[in-house]
Amino acid sequence: MMSNTLERVQRVTAELLKIDKSGVKPESNFVKDLGAESVQSIELVAAFEEEFDMEMDEAQALAVKTVGDAVTFIDRILATKKQR
Amino acid sequence: MSAANYSRIAKEQIAILEKNGCSSDDWSAVSVAEGFDPRRVERVTFQGQVELGRFSGSIELADGIKRPTGIYRAKLRNVSIGDNCAISDARGWISNATIAEHVCIENSGTIACVGETSFGNGHEISVLVEGGGRELSITKDTSAQIAYMTVLYRDRKELHQRLNAMADACAGRMRGKRLQIGTGARITNCSEIINVAVGDYAVVNGAQSLKEGTIVSSKEAPTIVGNGVIAEHFILQQGSSVLDGAMVFSSLIGEGTRIGKQFSCENSVFFANCEGFHSEACSIFAGPYTVTHHRSTLLIGGLFSFYNAGSGTNQSNHMYKLGPLHQGVMERGSKTGSFSYLLWPSRVGAFTAVIGKHYAHFDTAEFPFSYINEEEGKSTIVPGMNFFTVGTLRDGAKWPARDCRRNTNKLDLVTFNVLSPYTGQKMIAGQARLLDLYEKTGKEQQWVTYKGIAVKRLLLKTCSRYYGIALDKYYGDILLGRITQGKADSLRALLNFSAAGEQGDGEWVDLGGLICPKNRISRIIAKITSGAIASVEQLQTELETVFRSYGDDEWNWFLVQYKKCTDRELSGEPREVIIGLFERWRDASLKLLTMVLGDISKEFEGEVRIGFGIDGNQDADFEAVRGTFAGNKFVAQLNSEIDTIKKKFDTAVTQINSTKG
Repeated sequence: MMSNTLERVQRVTAELLKIDKSGVKPESNFVKDLGAESVQSIELVAAFEEEFDMEMDEAQALAVKTVGDAVTFIDRILATKKQR
Repeated sequence: MSAANYSRIAKEQIAILEKNGCSSDDWSAVSVAEGFDPRRVERVTFQGQVELGRFSGSIELADGIKRPTGIYRAKLRNVSIGDNCAISDARGWISNATIAEHVCIENSGTIACVGETSFGNGHEISVLVEGGGRELSITKDTSAQIAYMTVLYRDRKELHQRLNAMADACAGRMRGKRLQIGTGARITNCSEIINVAVGDYAVVNGAQSLKEGTIVSSKEAPTIVGNGVIAEHFILQQGSSVLDGAMVFSSLIGEGTRIGKQFSCENSVFFANCEGFHSEACSIFAGPYTVTHHRSTLLIGGLFSFYNAGSGTNQSNHMYKLGPLHQGVMERGSKTGSFSYLLWPSRVGAFTAVIGKHYAHFDTAEFPFSYINEEEGKSTIVPGMNFFTVGTLRDGAKWPARDCRRNTNKLDLVTFNVLSPYTGQKMIAGQARLLDLYEKTGKEQQWVTYKGIAVKRLLLKTCSRYYGIALDKYYGDILLGRITQGKADSLRALLNFSAAGEQGDGEWVDLGGLICPKNRISRIIAKITSGAIASVEQLQTELETVFRSYGDDEWNWFLVQYKKCTDRELSGEPREVIIGLFERWRDASLKLLTMVLGDISKEFEGEVRIGFGIDGNQDADFEAVRGTFAGNKFVAQLNSEIDTIKKKFDTAVTQINSTKG
């Protein structure tokens, strides 16, 4: 897990959900712990795409449940992008 | 029994009738059929011209009790009664009526025709704009399509006049001074029926007051009117039911539509398979499958179809200025959440879910399959999101399965398809619009307002991709249908334009449930205005041709869209490109199902378990009541659909490779 990615995911999540960044932990579940609603889940995907300048597969992205999973997911896409 | 078959009653028969407590002010005005049995007529008062048929055997009603045919305890004035009717305890007068064979009338008040009437046909109602301007003359022949053209195309005066003339002609044919009760009709326990034509096999039980109406009914699709119903100036079409204290004023209840549980409506039309319970409707055009089930829901001044109203749904059509003149449009497949409110005028795009209260006058027709929400008093939209929800997928499957119309010649022509050139053209436009807004909006801007509604800048690109996925799926569906039907010898021929279809480059419309190219309707309108189509029957025939051409028209539309996207003809593409389209279809379809499965999974997690296991064992109680995600029937269906998609893809590729060039 790249710490830089984690920090950026935490910042984007906190800004979008209007919560304190300190509460956004790798194990935090977007829905259960951070209170993300359906529309906010979509917004988070869009915000991550913009933050990391990438496109995510919608179905796979929406299946991501925790902050840590999101970081892994994003890192994987970034790595693939780099390889190309 | 025709009038010609009746002859003057014999003295012996009169003697028996008088012995049975019958009386007449003029027995010479009473005539009877050959074989008439006077022993089956007791305590009947005759006035004016009365004709009586043959009576033998019995009629069994729904309660399983057989009523002997004949007339017992009734007052008849200017009435013709067919063979084998069972009339008893007619407390009020039955007057100016022609009653066909096998009719049962029991324990009812006045059934009469008073003066000359057209039985509700030709009655003008204020649809959509309550204050007037879009009037419709309702008749027994009014279909959703005819009503749509009459109500919505008001700028075409000649068309409007011709359609009104057709309605007048129908009203003229119905006009008379005697009411008709059709073969096999049942009228029981009713209070009063004045100037109402009752069709064959109609069941009218316990109605409180029916005035100025026509009940169209048939053996295959009987129409039912139930307890406590009050109706005035109405048309009930085949197979409809109006029950349990419903109040229907100046309204048309279409084929297979069910109204009941104290629902009230005024100046409204409800076409095929609508459902109205508990709530209220005023000046609405309810296209097929408009459903409102909850008390305190008011639908007013709106155009709806394939619509579901949540409890407490409400709209306003009145700004306390010039009167109730505002109208709203909820395009097909839309729904409103509990206590949602819309301030007309507004137009909600197809298959959109509306949640919250909305005071903005927005137009989201370009953005089908959306979520409209309220955030801090602002109306917001998430375009395309509703395409990926389980609700939309279920709706698409349930409507055809819930077609209650049993009559063969259906009036309303209904296209059920969720994905169609109608929604397709809107998604194409919506996709382009979202990308355009994205390009034009700076990153510092959080919201973008378009046609009265706000969309988050962040979502513009994402939501345009949603439309892309939906279009990939739809295009693949069309192509797959074409390939698997395989009606041509070669792949090239198969991928060519359909000769029977429209050219494919025009706009499509949703004509009261019928999705079709606008060009076809324009030609029909031209025929109506020129007089080439002069009757409802001719018009219906033309519309049925349009309905049947959907597949060819859709194919040609797709070919044009392909050309627009790629600047190439599909028929000239190599096999690999066709296979590539199937790959996109497979990926989009799988993505859709995966996202829908994700949507369903929310129904089994987290907050949905609140309240289960009230005194402990929350999870066990939840599973006992709701089951598990893995064990859910719909989930299993979707998982099976995932396998089917993969198989269909393989089959299509094999077929492409095996079809000669």
